[in-house]
Amino acid sequence: MAIEGTDLIQASAFLGAGLAMGLGAIGPGIGEGMAASKACEAIGKNPSEAGLLTRTMLVGQAVSESTGIYALVVALLLLFVV
Amino acid sequence: MEELGKIHQLIVPVFGHEMAFNIEVIIMTWIVIAALIVFAVFATRKRGVVPGKTQVMGELFVTQLYALTIDALDERLGRKFAPMICALFMFLVISDSLGIIPHLEEPTKDLNVPLSLGIMGFVIAHYCGIREKGIKKYIKEYMEPFIIMLPLNIIGELAKVISVSFRLFGNIMGGSIIILVVSHLIYNLVLPPFLCFFFGLFIGTIQAFVFTMLTIVYIAVQVK
Repeated sequence: MAIEGTDLIQASAFLGAGLAMGLGAIGPGIGEGMAASKACEAIGKNPSEAGLLTRTMLVGQAVSESTGIYALVVALLLLFVV
Repeated sequence: MEELGKIHQLIVPVFGHEMAFNIEVIIMTWIVIAALIVFAVFATRKRGVVPGKTQVMGELFVTQLYALTIDALDERLGRKFAPMICALFMFLVISDSLGIIPHLEEPTKDLNVPLSLGIMGFVIAHYCGIREKGIKKYIKEYMEPFIIMLPLNIIGELAKVISVSFRLFGNIMGGSIIILVVSHLIYNLVLPPFLCFFFGLFIGTIQAFVFTMLTIVYIAVQVK
């Protein structure tokens, strides 16, 4: 069975989806970890403001997560549309 | 796994063009709206100084979101926009966590719903900006700091809509795909309730809050 052009396109689309998800998840992971560590420090210094700090941290993390979500959307497009 | 990525569409020919309706999304949106109406009726039916259970929940939603909106905007505009913000947040919370009930799907899983909500926020923000500042000052804001930055500023405004709607869509879609894949891997023997609760309730509520918050912030940026 010879490898045809469509197989090649399919294989590279799957490869691209994996690469997009894997590389795109690095940035949000590091960023959210840094946000959580700073929030931990702030709660340690000022435990009475824990609720406000947690809420702000969650919103900031959800916003910085969006680059990872774009990677997910690109990976889904490569998997199901190409 | 076969149902992954498939949607049921109703295609109606109108004057040579074809209009496509995503049936499941429409029905799920109706269910969400019905749930909201039932909640509102039960929350306001027996009002009293000593509130019942649903009345406490309704009051919690309304007071918190009013405080949030009045913080971000000023007193007058905050009171004007707070009902819209309340409706947006409650709609998004219920529609994001609808997936924890079997055989129901989140309407926000389809890109049409978040994108239309994002465009709604965009139009409201810009209309209110023009009304508050006047058309001259509004157009002048796009020429800041030089006139060369005009296309960049326009693209920046349009990118806000894309980012806010794709964030909600991607989170809900990704969560539901992960739930589907995991339940396929264990041959549907056990429903993965923890994943459902994590993605449905936790992530769904946070993303609904972020969407609402960003809509308020976009309105506040345009008004000031």
